[in-house]
Amino acid sequence: MGISTCSGAISLARELENESAKFYQELTKKYEQDKDLFLAFAKENTKYISQIERAYYGVITDAIEGCFAFDLNPEDYQVKAAPSKGASYSDAVKEALAIEEKILTFYGVAAEQSKHLMADVPRSFTLVAKKRNERIPKLKALLDQAK
Amino acid sequence: MAMLEEPIKGVKEVKNYINGEWVDSKGKMVDVVNPATMKVMGKCPISTKDEINEAVEAAKAAFPEWRRTTPLARSRILFRLKELLEENFEELSRIQTMEHGKCIDESRGETRRGIENVEVSCGIPTLMQGYYSEDIATGIDEWLIPSPLGVFGIIGPYNFPFMIPLWSAPYAVATGNTIVIKPSSEVPFSQMRLTELAEEAGFPPGVWNVVNGGRTVVDGMLEHRDIVGITFVGSTPIGKDVIYKKCGETGKRVIAQCGAKNFMVIMPDCNVKATVPALMTSFFGNTGQRCLAGANLLVVGDDDQFYKRFMEEVVAMSSKIKIGYGLDESIQMGPVRDKEKRDNIMGYIEIGIKEGAKLRLDGRKPKIEGGLPDTCFVGPTIFEQVTTKMRIGSEEIFGPVMSVLRAKTLEEAVQICNDSPFGNGHAIFTQNGRSARDFQYNVVSGNVGINIGIVAPVAFFPFSGMKDSFFGVLHTQGQEAVRFFTESKVIIQRWF
Repeated sequence: MGISTCSGAISLARELENESAKFYQELTKKYEQDKDLFLAFAKENTKYISQIERAYYGVITDAIEGCFAFDLNPEDYQVKAAPSKGASYSDAVKEALAIEEKILTFYGVAAEQSKHLMADVPRSFTLVAKKRNERIPKLKALLDQAK
Repeated sequence: MAMLEEPIKGVKEVKNYINGEWVDSKGKMVDVVNPATMKVMGKCPISTKDEINEAVEAAKAAFPEWRRTTPLARSRILFRLKELLEENFEELSRIQTMEHGKCIDESRGETRRGIENVEVSCGIPTLMQGYYSEDIATGIDEWLIPSPLGVFGIIGPYNFPFMIPLWSAPYAVATGNTIVIKPSSEVPFSQMRLTELAEEAGFPPGVWNVVNGGRTVVDGMLEHRDIVGITFVGSTPIGKDVIYKKCGETGKRVIAQCGAKNFMVIMPDCNVKATVPALMTSFFGNTGQRCLAGANLLVVGDDDQFYKRFMEEVVAMSSKIKIGYGLDESIQMGPVRDKEKRDNIMGYIEIGIKEGAKLRLDGRKPKIEGGLPDTCFVGPTIFEQVTTKMRIGSEEIFGPVMSVLRAKTLEEAVQICNDSPFGNGHAIFTQNGRSARDFQYNVVSGNVGINIGIVAPVAFFPFSGMKDSFFGVLHTQGQEAVRFFTESKVIIQRWF
């Protein structure tokens, strides 16, 4: 089922942040050596949800295109809440990278679709994406170390 | 996607709030039906004349002490109300969806707009400052004090049950007046919740009163000698012939914000990708039940290719709109408020067909998500080849019906807008600054949009209106509301 409403897009963002936070919490349990980094990622996700909700609840008015701003397919952005069973450390980090890339794509598409309509919401998507983008080199570095 | 939980369970009974007490009405009770599910969600009283009199007496008695309460102390209560509204934001929004039918995004938008008026009124210590001239003649000084007047009546409509009373109420009490609100009996629950929060915020008994009901309560307000002013939002016939007229007869000040037939003017240079979603909100948001909704789409120019392409985009997006219960986050358009309103819209669609307009998109048998009864649902409807001589091109339908007209030039388009008896919220969509400037300068409309489909002023600007869309002088919201709710007391002083 496609998402056209702002409420739906915010719920999807919340779901992606929550699911990926769970993923990192799982990594924390499994890999003691990088626990701090994974825990920091999980905590950041909570902040991102707040940031996006603050933008939405602050800007939503009866006058903007809240119900007609998006054309998103949530199936395109499903992420895992835990690493695959039996995954090695490198496989788990690769899965984390895949999650990050998917979420970055989501924020990029969502921001682009709504950029003319509700400036604060796409802006918050873009800001969160920019911050999340900093995870990519960190995860890649972990992958290099694991080789 | 999530179906959000309903905040009202079972059947809730509405009470009046008079002199700081929740009281049962002696009037008959009417069912309040959720228009999406058609389940009875509550019962609202149709209060009696004695009850409105009682509320006015309480408000009158509370006025002297409330007036003496300092603006700073009054604003602190409003700050507390603002906090409580934020804490209960989601519940208030979901109540609106249940009682009215609008989608959750729309309800949240309404809640936000309502709260913004409370925020603005929190600034009352500076907003209601007067001014002073020293030495208007040697040794003589003169100054002005904005002074509260007494008891005001606030009559709310059904289409924005939470927000519209807040265009007036916070400014009225902030300036030291007392109020009696009459919510629409069709949608009383968000006002009831707001009143509970106002009580919790600490307004003294008698300052903020609510009497539910219908015509008897309205007449009681209009006739009561102790009500000094009325704010009203509703239809033009009632606003003009009843509210404005009666307030004139009884010497009350009045704000009567009324009906509309708004034109959305489309220039061939508009940004089509951004314009079409804006038009969806304008014409079909709140299921077309708002005085700032787009009603007539006026496409400018004789480029038939542009017209054809543009209308294809409009029809394609309109026909994909998901209709259902607004608590389902995927829904883009809810029902209209009740069957009577739906029948009225259906009647206009029949009229449009008989008048010879081309029915491009037929909303009479919409696809409704979730297996809901179709009692109150109408789908997006688009008529082409409409003229302003047709009833569908000139009368307010108050539903999701788009009438498409064409004009050769911008000048002709402006003339068509200005020939309408209404002047509420016309808009232009263009990338050309000159066209935008010419439009905003020449069009006779209280609110004007440039690439904005719903021209709803924020709380620190007046909610304007012209011609048959507004009767009165000052408007609700912002500084104008502060002026409406105060009289200028001018003092001239000399000492011998």
